[in-house]
This record gives sequence, C-alpha cells and structure tokens, in this order.
Amino acid sequence: MKGLFKSKPRTPVDIVRQTREGLVQLDLHSGSRSGDAKREEKMTELSKNIRDMKSILYGNGESEPVTEACVQLTQEFFRENTLRLLIIHLPKLNLETRKDATQVVANLQRQQVSSKIVASEYLESNKDLLDILILGYENMDIALHYGAMLRECIRHQSIARYVLESEHMKKFFDYIQLPNFDIASDASATFKELLTRHKATVAEFLSNNYDWFFEEFNSRLLSSTNYITKRQAIKLLGDMLLDRSNAAVMMRYVSSKDNLMILMNLLRDSSKNIQIEAFHVFKLFAANKNKPPEVVNILVTNRSKLLRFFAGFKIDKEDEQFEADKEQVIKEISAL
Amino acid sequence: MLRAAGLFAPAASPPSSAMAPANNVSNGGSEEEARYPLNAESYRLLCKIGSGVSAVVYKAVCLPLGSSSSSSAVVAIKAIDLERSRVDLDGVRREAKAMALLSHRNVLRAHCSFTVGSHLWVVMPFMGAGSLHSILRHGFPGGLPEPCVAVVLAETLRALCYLHGQGRIHRDIKAGNILVDSDGAVKLADFGVSASIYETMHASASASAATAALGLGSSASCCFNDVAGTPYWMAPEVIHSHVGYGIKADIWSFGITALELAHGRPPLSHLPPSKSMLMRITSRVRLEDEESAAASSSSNKFSRAFKDMVSACLCQEPAKRPSAEKLLRHPFFKACSRRSKDFLVRNVLAAVPSIEERCSKDDDAGNDLCGCVVGARGGGARCVSPCRRHAADDDVVGVKNRRISGWNFNEDNLELDPTTTEEPAAEKRCVPFENPVVELDDSDSTGDGDRRRRPSHGDEDQDHGKAAEVVGFKEQQEVVTRKLMAVLQSLEMQRDMVTNVLERTAGSFDGGGNGGACGESVTGPRQEEREEMLLGYVRQLEHRVGDLRMEVEEEMAWNARLEKMMLQEKEINSSQASAGNSFS
Repeated sequence: MKGLFKSKPRTPVDIVRQTREGLVQLDLHSGSRSGDAKREEKMTELSKNIRDMKSILYGNGESEPVTEACVQLTQEFFRENTLRLLIIHLPKLNLETRKDATQVVANLQRQQVSSKIVASEYLESNKDLLDILILGYENMDIALHYGAMLRECIRHQSIARYVLESEHMKKFFDYIQLPNFDIASDASATFKELLTRHKATVAEFLSNNYDWFFEEFNSRLLSSTNYITKRQAIKLLGDMLLDRSNAAVMMRYVSSKDNLMILMNLLRDSSKNIQIEAFHVFKLFAANKNKPPEVVNILVTNRSKLLRFFAGFKIDKEDEQFEADKEQVIKEISAL
Repeated sequence: MLRAAGLFAPAASPPSSAMAPANNVSNGGSEEEARYPLNAESYRLLCKIGSGVSAVVYKAVCLPLGSSSSSSAVVAIKAIDLERSRVDLDGVRREAKAMALLSHRNVLRAHCSFTVGSHLWVVMPFMGAGSLHSILRHGFPGGLPEPCVAVVLAETLRALCYLHGQGRIHRDIKAGNILVDSDGAVKLADFGVSASIYETMHASASASAATAALGLGSSASCCFNDVAGTPYWMAPEVIHSHVGYGIKADIWSFGITALELAHGRPPLSHLPPSKSMLMRITSRVRLEDEESAAASSSSNKFSRAFKDMVSACLCQEPAKRPSAEKLLRHPFFKACSRRSKDFLVRNVLAAVPSIEERCSKDDDAGNDLCGCVVGARGGGARCVSPCRRHAADDDVVGVKNRRISGWNFNEDNLELDPTTTEEPAAEKRCVPFENPVVELDDSDSTGDGDRRRRPSHGDEDQDHGKAAEVVGFKEQQEVVTRKLMAVLQSLEMQRDMVTNVLERTAGSFDGGGNGGACGESVTGPRQEEREEMLLGYVRQLEHRVGDLRMEVEEEMAWNARLEKMMLQEKEINSSQASAGNSFS
C-alpha cells in the first residue's frame, strides 16, 4: 500500500543526523526513567537509522551502493562525533543493531572523500576510542563487536602503530588466552593482524620492543599448555620471521639458543600441526649461515636424534617445498 | 549407553567445586540466559548423539546448573577435533563467531565454546528430538507426511530469511542440519561452512579467510603458501553476484532438502556418489531424473503446490530461484501458520523413538559408536573423541617413529636451562627413540584396535567427508574430473559388456538354429525383441558416453586453465618465499 503523500526520501545526511540525535537522546533517557514505551520507540527508530546507513554503504538485495551517497554519509558521519557516540553507546543497542553498527563502522574505514580516508584522520585525533575498543575484550557482551571494529581500524597504518606502541599491547597476551573461545580467537585474529599487516611498522615495533615482546611470546604463548594458544602462536611466529621485512629480527631470533630449545620442544609436540609449524621456524635456525657456537652445540649434540626425527617427518599431502626445506635442513645439520 | 554413563561418572567433579568457574564467567552471554561454565569438568557427557568427519556431538548435563533441575542443564556438546587436518582454525573461528552472534528462534545458538585439549567444545541447547535425518531414518524411512514437511520447511525458511538478511550463507542445508526439540521447535544448525558476505569483504588482510568464504578452499597451514598482506578487494558487483550466488545456492539445497523430507532420502541417493555428483552437474539428466523420481515414487502422494515449490527452488538459473522470503509466501506454506507448535510433536515425534534409544540402536548395529567416551576420564585434558584416530590412522602409525622423547640441551658445557629441567634426567643419556610416550601408546592401541575391527571404515568416512565438503573448490574440480573419468570408464565397460552379451546371444541363437527349425520359430520373435531392446540400450549408453566425454573434456579444459592460474600464482609466491628465505 502506497501512501498518497510520499514523504520526501531522506538523504544520507539526514539519516546520519537522526542517528546522532538518537544516540544523544539515548544518553539523556538512560538517566531519567521516562516512559518505557517512548524509549522503546526511540530505540526502534535508532535501529532503523543504523540499518539504513548500512544499506547505503553496502547496498541491499536490489541495488548496489551509490558512490555519491556513500561520500555524503561518510562526510556527515565524521563531521561530528558520530563514531564516538556509536562506540560508547553500543552496549545499549540490541544485538541486531550492534551487528549493523559494527558493519557500518567497518565499511566507513575505507570510504574516501576526495581521495582521502576520512576515518583515519578522525581516529588519529581520537585515539582514546581505540583504548575503548581494545578494553572491549574484557566485556563478553561486546567483545566480538568491538573486536571487529578494532580490526578494521588498524587497517590504517598510523592507528596500528598507535595500538602496537600502546600499553594495551601487553594485554593481548591475556586476551588470547581467555577461556571463551570465540573471544579469545577474535583477539588472536586482531593480534595477528597487528603483527603482520603493516610491514615496516611491524619491523620497527619488533626491533624496538624485541626483548619484552619475545620474552612474553616465548614464555606465555609458545610455552602455553593450551593447545590452541600454542598452535596459533607458532603459526604467527613463522609468519613474522619469514617475512622479508623482519629479516633483522629473524636473525636475532635464530641466534638464540633459548629460542632454539623452545622450537625443538615444539617439534616433538604431540600435535602434528604444531610440529609442522615449528619446523617452519626451526629450519631458519638450521639455515642460518652464522650460527652462534651455542646453537651449533645444541644441534650437534642432538644431531642423530634430529636426523632420525626428520627421516620420519612427513606431512599428509605432498608438498615439494616442504620436502625441499627438509632436505636442506638435513643437509645443514649433517654438515655441522 | 549405561556403559558410557558409567565411564563418565569419574570425570564428574563435585558440583561445589564446579560452581566456582561458573561464577567466574557471570558477566558473559546475554542477560536472560543461564551462564554456562567454560571448563570440561563442569559437564558430564551422557551419550554420543551424532558424529561427523571431525566432530562428535554428545548429550551432556551441565553439573552446576543440574542442581536447579531446569531443562537448561541438559545440553548438547559438539566436540570438534582441531587437530584433524581438514579443520582450519579460521573456519572454526568463523563458526564460533557466527553461532555467538546469531539470534533467531529458528537458528541454533551456542551457549558458549571453549577448548579442551586439542578439541573445541561448543555447548549448545539440547534438541531433544534430534535431526530430521535421524527422525526420517528411525521413524519415517519413506518420508514425512506432507503437512509435516510443510511445517518443518516453513520453520527452516524463517531461519534462512534471517540468515540471508544478515548477509550470511549457510551452505549446508540438509535434513541432518535441521534439528527438532522435544516441544516441536525447529532450528537450523551447523555453521561449519557458513560464510558471511560482510566478513568476506572485510577480511582483506587475510587472503585465506576471503578465499575460504568464497568457497575456494581453505589454505593449508604452511607458511610458504601464504600470500601475506596481499590486499584483497572485491568490486561491489562481484560481491553482489556472490551474494546472489551464495544465497541462491542455499535455496537449491533447500529444494533438495524438501525432497529429502518427502521421500526419506535425497534424490539420486540410490546412485553411487560419483554418479549423483555427475548428475548434479549435468543439468539435462538431473532435471529429468528428479521429475521421474518424483513421479514414480510418489506419483500422487504430493500436492501440486509442493511440486511447484520444489521445482522453483531447483531452477537451473540461480537468479530465477525465489528468495527465502518469497518462498515463504508460497501457497505450499499457507496452512503452516495455522498449525500449532505441537503439530510436529503429535504427528512426528510421537512416532519416533527417543534420541537415546536411537543411539543405542546404532550401538547394537555396530555403527560408528566407538570408544569416544574413554578419554574423558583423564581429567579432561586429552579428552573425548578418539574417533579421529581411526580416520587419522596412518598418522598415528607414522608418529611412532617420529616421536622424540626429549632433546639434549644440557650436555657439552651448556648451562642447565630451567626450561629443560622438566625433561626426565634419564632421557638425557639413553635417547629413548623407540619408546613412544605413554599417552601416545594408549591412543595407538585404541586406534589399532578399531582399525582391525573395521579395516576400511575410517577411509570410507573420510572419502565421504571429501565429497561433502563444498569448500575445496580446486579439490572439487579434481574430484569431479576424476569421478567423471571413472564414470566414463564404467559406462564404456558396460557398453562393451552389453555388446558382448548381444554378440553371444546372437551366437547361441545361430547355434540353436543348427539343432532344429522348430526351436528357431519359437524363440525367434522374442530374441529379436530382446535384441532390439539391448541395441536400444547400447545406443542410449553410447549417447551417454558421448555426452560424458564432452563433459570431461570441458572439465579438463577448465582444470587446465585453473592449473595455469595456480602455477602463475605459485611462481609469484615462491619468488617471494625464496626472497624471504635467503637471508644467509
């Protein structure tokens, strides 16, 4: 049924404004107990506005997003503190609206207005929002939403650098090991993103923070008794060390006998997956042309064991690269 | 089952001690729900109620909640074996996240999930009547009556409407994933392969997540294959076509599920998997076959509305398949809204044995209920599901030689390092290579035992899983080609056999002719008739072989193209990898 008087369609700017107003009112109403029905109504309206923003940014089943509309929305969104309001009030929204809001925030991170990423500029002058997002991992109700937003925000190199260098970085070692699997694995996804996405920034972070970072990494993650923590950590370590941009850090890592011992213990882990990931790091120790004497010493002492181990070390599917690496490692160790 | 419960008893810790962890997580979950503890000790597994390639589902009781005697204390726990090679952690993470964030009365939502050793336990509401697959098997082998089919499908469609509205594609709609509670509530479950369109768009950093979401297969855990940091962009139109594609793929499976519920088994399931797979990709044959199948087995059993609804879902062209929302308005579902919730209870659930009885039946039949329960005694650490062991048998056998009991870090003037002190001192000297660690020995023996009993079972299961897995796109390409080749071969063989038979009957006919003229006159016409029939059959077969050959050729050309693309990508990868590797 179509109304006789079609109301003028709301522009993207209208929708953002109404969203902002709705969020502000949420704040006002939360204190005073003004009629539940009215509050309900406001909430419904707010939810609808957020959903409308989502359809503008992503398009819907019938139509694709229109660039001009996205630009208008983005501009209006960051012209004032809509992002701050949305993040702060997220816990008050219902589940579906939280999800919509998360998707809106995610999408906005890469919207460009006259070839500039507005979101990045906004976040740079509102870095405390990132603190809020990170601490979200401590609240089970919003952890997954804040986590998803956070991962989108650290797409910006400057923001990733802020998080890497913040005190919060240490907290990730706790978050990764939260008992709640969905939250812990979300935290590890963010952790991984922080340590692999922006190559130069990561390389700089790792060299400046080498001591504490790898101390924590080795003792809390690689030596963890938790299967999944160990498995994700060893995979991430491989990803980091095998990245060209981290060559200097890698050289430092593979020159330490303590690190070698941890890796050798992981090689004989009861999990095949962990063994394989450990091998990808172990091979770096073996391939190092300037092995320190203490590393050589360990390898020589365990030479026969290692060779026997590698003789029976196979992965389920054929992998030429793996076999070649293994050959190389065997050669290196035999030649010591 | 009593045996199982008995075995579990020792694993149960006293409720008082189990209360503590439950309280620790009191700030979690959503407000009105009971809090479920995040440790294995708080649950007692009662019996196995289902199993898949890399997961086992148990009925269990949550001990801290048990005292309140509420039904929420009974749960289902899906124990996913994370060590199984086919499970990739990103996929598991997506499933956990999906299940935590979906909220709809027709979608099964997880209470919580946590790891237990190398298993992930997903604690879910216990759906008392089990899956429709199981209901069909134990009470309705010929299919459900049409009104019940309609109710189940309408509820499933509501779940699909919700999922699709969320930009989520289920990708594994089938009777086995539709669960029914004892009060008749219907819920869609198992998001193991589901994908979110939004997540696909966002996962730009991790190419593997994106490709997995696209159904291009999950990458192995080898670092060298990672194209780390390659930005992954998808144009909106691609996403849209993807949305359209994915969502409509669910509608197709929904149509097949409708037939499955109506007939008691999915269409084409009487054919070997290879052939049914083939049929699915050759449109002509498939549609004809379905129509004839529907016509033959249930000619007048089902209404026109049903047939019309199903054929709309099974439209070759994805774009022409109706959306879930539109489908829900189909006349076939008209009556559903009038039916009360206990319609299914009265008409379906009353006719099937309880889930426990079904399980014990399976047990008697020697179905794959294995010693799953044994592990739980060990304090929960290396818990549950030695099931993976028979599927990963070769693995276990290999491990024996591979296991190293300890390294020598403290010899030759090396300082004694604290991290190595936990190594037993004896091992430093004797290098007990041949002595696998005790726990491994254990697992070995159970694994071997199982294998001896049913030598090929594990492999078969794995094959099944492979066929079912939609994710591995490239893998699927290969499988399809291989299967096509096999079918082609078998058809060719059949053709040869038929011609052979033809020749021989012709020969014997000649021979008979020598014996007496009267015999010839009697058998003549019948022989001719048979011969003609056989010839017709041969011609049909030849036709089929021709079609198949074309199919194979197409498939191979496509494969070749894919291979070329992969090779190019590999080259880029390896040049990157070698660059990263040559630090020396």
